[in-house]
Amino acid sequence: MDEDNVLMRLVILLVPLSLASIGGGASILAGIERGVVGQYGWFSHEEFLNLFAVSRASPGPGTMLSTLIGWRLEGWTGAIVATLAVYVPSSILCYVVYRTTNLSRERNWYRILRTALAPVGTGLVIAGVINITRISGAGLSGLTMSFAAFFALLMFPRLPLPLMLVLGALISLALFRVSYM
Amino acid sequence: MPPDVVRPTSRDIFLVCLKMGAFSFGGGLSGWIYREFVERHRWVSDSDFNATLALSQILPGANVINLVICFGEDLAGFKGALSAFVGFLIGPVLGVIGLYYFVNRLSDPTLLSVGLAGVAYVAIGLLILICWRGLRGTFRQPEFLPVVLIVALLVSGFGFPVLLTVLLVAPISIALAIWSSRRNG
Repeated sequence: MDEDNVLMRLVILLVPLSLASIGGGASILAGIERGVVGQYGWFSHEEFLNLFAVSRASPGPGTMLSTLIGWRLEGWTGAIVATLAVYVPSSILCYVVYRTTNLSRERNWYRILRTALAPVGTGLVIAGVINITRISGAGLSGLTMSFAAFFALLMFPRLPLPLMLVLGALISLALFRVSYM
Repeated sequence: MPPDVVRPTSRDIFLVCLKMGAFSFGGGLSGWIYREFVERHRWVSDSDFNATLALSQILPGANVINLVICFGEDLAGFKGALSAFVGFLIGPVLGVIGLYYFVNRLSDPTLLSVGLAGVAYVAIGLLILICWRGLRGTFRQPEFLPVVLIVALLVSGFGFPVLLTVLLVAPISIALAIWSSRRNG
């Protein structure tokens, strides 16, 4: 693949998503998936699911998925370009807004914007869940695991997430072994 | 900032953000930022923290990155904001690539895919939790439920680009919020 071309496409894909990532990384999962799997065909469904899993098991703000995608496509250059493409536009916007507004005076406006934009963010995350579930080919066991994890985290918010993720891997491997024998 | 507190340099900010970014597993990060900036170092006041948090949640981007950029700007100007941004991201960038590299050496590709699928299902559970919390908030103001549904439908059902969807729906939602705040006094 032509290197400049891939980097350029990555930037063109990620910059608009950066500016649309209301509520953080989870909200642009659907957009990233459609771009790198559907539009460009850079990854198979299975590969994308693997990248998603690793990105959620790593430290960091929500998702480092785009960094990993950049790394897989173009090594360290790709990782840095993808990270900057997804974080710089939103950061510049935040910086400019913070410098030009007065926090204490415009609190009422903040409240209105928050009320208005929170449902947009929620809608985006729902779209992300639908898209990732669609390509995961999750059968009944996969869906059961997702909802079990959801209920566990809902009831016990202090459960350590890394532990939950490792448990997910072990259960999945155990189910695989059982169906294999 | 209280008078007995020394104003941090951009290097101080860089180091605090480096530490938080590198050890931030599984969210809950704004709580940690609160502990570091407000309680431990007393660089930021409680009310400034809350106002800035509100702003960083409204704007696109990761809340925590937005938050440390604002604090960096406050404490040490543009250099402070830049130090916060770079410091916060170094750990996660190396972490995610390192983890990918490591798990790929761990086992054969089939077992790896099976194991990672399990991780993904749990991670999807966490996303469902985010949706659940969002929906619960929206149910308190049910006039915003159509906003959630339309966004999800446009992006997931019709494959609308995410930014276009936001640009189409956000103004309507803002108008709705202004209207309902006037109506409620």
